[in-house]
Amino acid sequence: MIIETVLLSIILLPDTTTTESQQLDEVVVVSRELGAQRSVKGQVASIDEHLRELKSVNLVRRGSYAWEPVINNMQTERVSTSIDGMKIFYACTDKMDPVTSYVESSNLQSILLNSGLNGNPQATGNIGGSLDLKLRRAGFGSDRFRMGGDLGYESNGQQRVFGADAAVSTQGFYTNGGVSYRRADNYKEGGGREIQFSQFQKVNAYDNFGFRLAQHGSIEGTFIFDRATDVGYPALNMDVAKAEAFITSLAYRREWEDRALQSWETKVYYNHITHVMDDTHRPDVQIHMDMPGESWTAGLYSLLRAAWGRHFLTANYDLYDNRLFADMTMYPGGAAPMYMVTWPDVGTLNTGVALSDRISLSDARSLHLSGKWSWQHQRLNNQEGYNALSVFFPGMKRQYQQVTGRISASYQVSLAHSRYSVGAGWGSRAPTVTEAYGYYLNNTFDQYDYIGNPRLKNESAVELNGSYEWRTDGYALNLDASGFFFSDYIIGRFEPRLSAMTVAAEGVKVYANIDHATIANFSLTSAWDLFDWLKWSVRTGYSIGRDEEGEALPLIAPWVYGTVAEVQVGRFRGKAEWQGNARQHHYGSKYGESRSAGWAICNLQGSYSWSHVTLRAGVENLLDKRYTTYADWCDIPQKGRNIYINLSFEY
Amino acid sequence: MRKVLLMFLAMTTLGLVSCNSNDDENGIVIEGITITDDVDCCTAEEALQVYKFIQTVHILPELSIEVDGLYNVWAYAKSDTFHTGYNEIYFVATKKVTGNYIKNFDIKNLTPLMHMVKMDMYHSAPASEGVESFNDNYLAVRRGWVSFVMPTSQAGDWVLSYEVEVLGSTAQVEPAAITVDALPEGQAWVKSFKIDGKPYYLSVVNPIDFQTGVNTIQAYVSVQGENRELPYGAADETFTIEIDPRMPDMGNHTSPDNVALTKQTSGVYQGTVNLTMTGLWRIHLTVRDSQGNVVAGGDDLDNGYSSLYWDVTI
Repeated sequence: MIIETVLLSIILLPDTTTTESQQLDEVVVVSRELGAQRSVKGQVASIDEHLRELKSVNLVRRGSYAWEPVINNMQTERVSTSIDGMKIFYACTDKMDPVTSYVESSNLQSILLNSGLNGNPQATGNIGGSLDLKLRRAGFGSDRFRMGGDLGYESNGQQRVFGADAAVSTQGFYTNGGVSYRRADNYKEGGGREIQFSQFQKVNAYDNFGFRLAQHGSIEGTFIFDRATDVGYPALNMDVAKAEAFITSLAYRREWEDRALQSWETKVYYNHITHVMDDTHRPDVQIHMDMPGESWTAGLYSLLRAAWGRHFLTANYDLYDNRLFADMTMYPGGAAPMYMVTWPDVGTLNTGVALSDRISLSDARSLHLSGKWSWQHQRLNNQEGYNALSVFFPGMKRQYQQVTGRISASYQVSLAHSRYSVGAGWGSRAPTVTEAYGYYLNNTFDQYDYIGNPRLKNESAVELNGSYEWRTDGYALNLDASGFFFSDYIIGRFEPRLSAMTVAAEGVKVYANIDHATIANFSLTSAWDLFDWLKWSVRTGYSIGRDEEGEALPLIAPWVYGTVAEVQVGRFRGKAEWQGNARQHHYGSKYGESRSAGWAICNLQGSYSWSHVTLRAGVENLLDKRYTTYADWCDIPQKGRNIYINLSFEY
Repeated sequence: MRKVLLMFLAMTTLGLVSCNSNDDENGIVIEGITITDDVDCCTAEEALQVYKFIQTVHILPELSIEVDGLYNVWAYAKSDTFHTGYNEIYFVATKKVTGNYIKNFDIKNLTPLMHMVKMDMYHSAPASEGVESFNDNYLAVRRGWVSFVMPTSQAGDWVLSYEVEVLGSTAQVEPAAITVDALPEGQAWVKSFKIDGKPYYLSVVNPIDFQTGVNTIQAYVSVQGENRELPYGAADETFTIEIDPRMPDMGNHTSPDNVALTKQTSGVYQGTVNLTMTGLWRIHLTVRDSQGNVVAGGDDLDNGYSSLYWDVTI
């Protein structure tokens, strides 16, 4: 079982979330806190750069902003992303805005990754895994007043980052909030050629607060406003004029000491995303189009934690109602505009119950069981969109219902020098709104227009995983493997009968269930503590993805490798990294993927800390190599040499 | 709004005139209409249906007439003016005494006529000649149609005439000047082709009602007779009209599962056209005779599509 966290904040507080995270998969620290797994750029790093630290995560890039997290080689459709348990859904039919793009590093304490079917309690549809973005909360009774700031500069693309935050905390009240601003111009690929339309700009403001109502009860709230403007997507035909999110929640939390019942948290939340694409700055636009999209989600969850004997139990009830609407208007010069509804105002009401139990069988052995059952009702609220889809699916219904579930078990043995675990699970997911009701969504990856299929069956998968860890003084070895065996795997299938809408598209694909597919991932990490001040590690990984005919699935990582030397002398930390991908042997040619070449780059990083100030500097892609990874949409090149420097202070 | 007003009217007058013997037991009161037991006329429910329908169309005063001082015949259309291509004209007859709608009446020889000024020649256009009941809900509404082949212009003017027969009385509406507007850019609803030198006309029915999605498409095939001053009646032959809807502004994008128009017992041709979005749709046509031979269209222009087409912009 792989669980990872990325920590992000300085102000790491005695919050319940962090203690629990050790039992979960991976964590990345987003805050300014030192140590732990985190981006070397500290809080100045973007969320995407923090996510990159998670070993099960890859990122699909369509530009230099808003990368799409891929977990265990599975994209958004098979991944659940939540913000402190809140469900939030992207509003762009072209996936330009994964929900991780609507928060900033400063908003977060950490990012928690649960690999595979053992998702966080609010996760649904998480076959590949689930991400929960943990918000940063000052908490009660920490430092009375704190403030911090960040300044960052990157040479490639002239990225400027400014951030400031402050926190006030007493025994009865806390609030912490901040603002940040990022702006980048076009970046240059290795060799110095400028990548047009790769700029972006983002502002973010947030505030968290809490009131203690009684000794054990408190109310906590969240407010995040995030707005990206002038975002270029060099891999796509369009840019984004505005991507804006308003995220808010209010929670009541009750905690007990010395009782089986440990805590009970109930949260209500609402978020709204507006996404507006823009092609007015592009040359050679054949037909100008307006493509706005909106997403509204309101929901609640109620999470109970209890410890009883050898059992550590959680029970969660959640409910959310999401609405997705997107349309497209095309303006051929002089002629009548052409209008279509691309997401027919789909209302999704989803409710579910999740249970998990961690059982300590003995000091060395433990068993973790988790499961979730969800019921979902979908309704197409837009008549025009429904009528249009009815052309392709005569007699389709206006409302659909799905039941999905997941169950997983993992058994772990920890011995003096070794630890191993084996796990198994089964889970299903309902088709996404794009897969079920999307309408002529052009996919620039394979140059097909995609039409959703309201008659899709749920996709399901059996997961098997295992890990082994060997640790002695000065040496550690980690082996991880996971396999996902899908039934009714959902993927676009070419429909020669249909005519493409997008000029220059190859044709139309309609989402379909294929009988089975397999995705498997292996990784190995070996780390040596060579001296007190020097650590060295090597890492490698390999993945395969196959459809029912044994053909390669698209966007599956090739053989990856990397080695890192880390130095720590006093307050100086340094890191030299060499990483690369082998040439992609198995690529999804059947699905329009082209082979990506092998590459390797070298990065150097260093940081020095004074009492209140940390200075970080480094060079990425030291040799200014021009390269493209398998996950770079339409083979847009990665950044060339990039020198960065940033300054964080806290007081 | 009008419906609400009517309801309001119905409810308030129910209280006020509940002693009126003319009042229907359902309490339906329609402004200007007295409901009696007259078998020629509508019941209250039927009259209300007709009344509601009339609120959705525009009256054509120049085509309305009084018959023998006893009856009125009113003509209506969907808009104030006519346009090239298929136009529906609705007729309603009322008794002057009660104002109620008469169930049985007939309209004949609905005749459009154009005077071509320069050549001083006259010609007619495809027309329904007679009328039929609009549908089951509006038995007292008769519907006819005219498909104008060109707009009113300096080159010529249109007049329209018809005969009416109401409960044994007849009258003739003398040729009344009407204005036929040209259709806007992106609309072409009537097309012609020739078989053995005889001109045939294809008039698509109310394409303005098409919407994104699955649409029933109807059309009439009319043929010009020996006397071109008489309305062009329905062609006797049985054709099949194959359709290939394309979006010229969108790389000739098309839609699946379109169904060719075939002749129905009523004489109208009916099929299915699927439109995947709004915008200009060019519906390319291939007309086949009963043996399956192509008699019109079906040719391949430079773009690969038939030269015979309707343009419909939705």
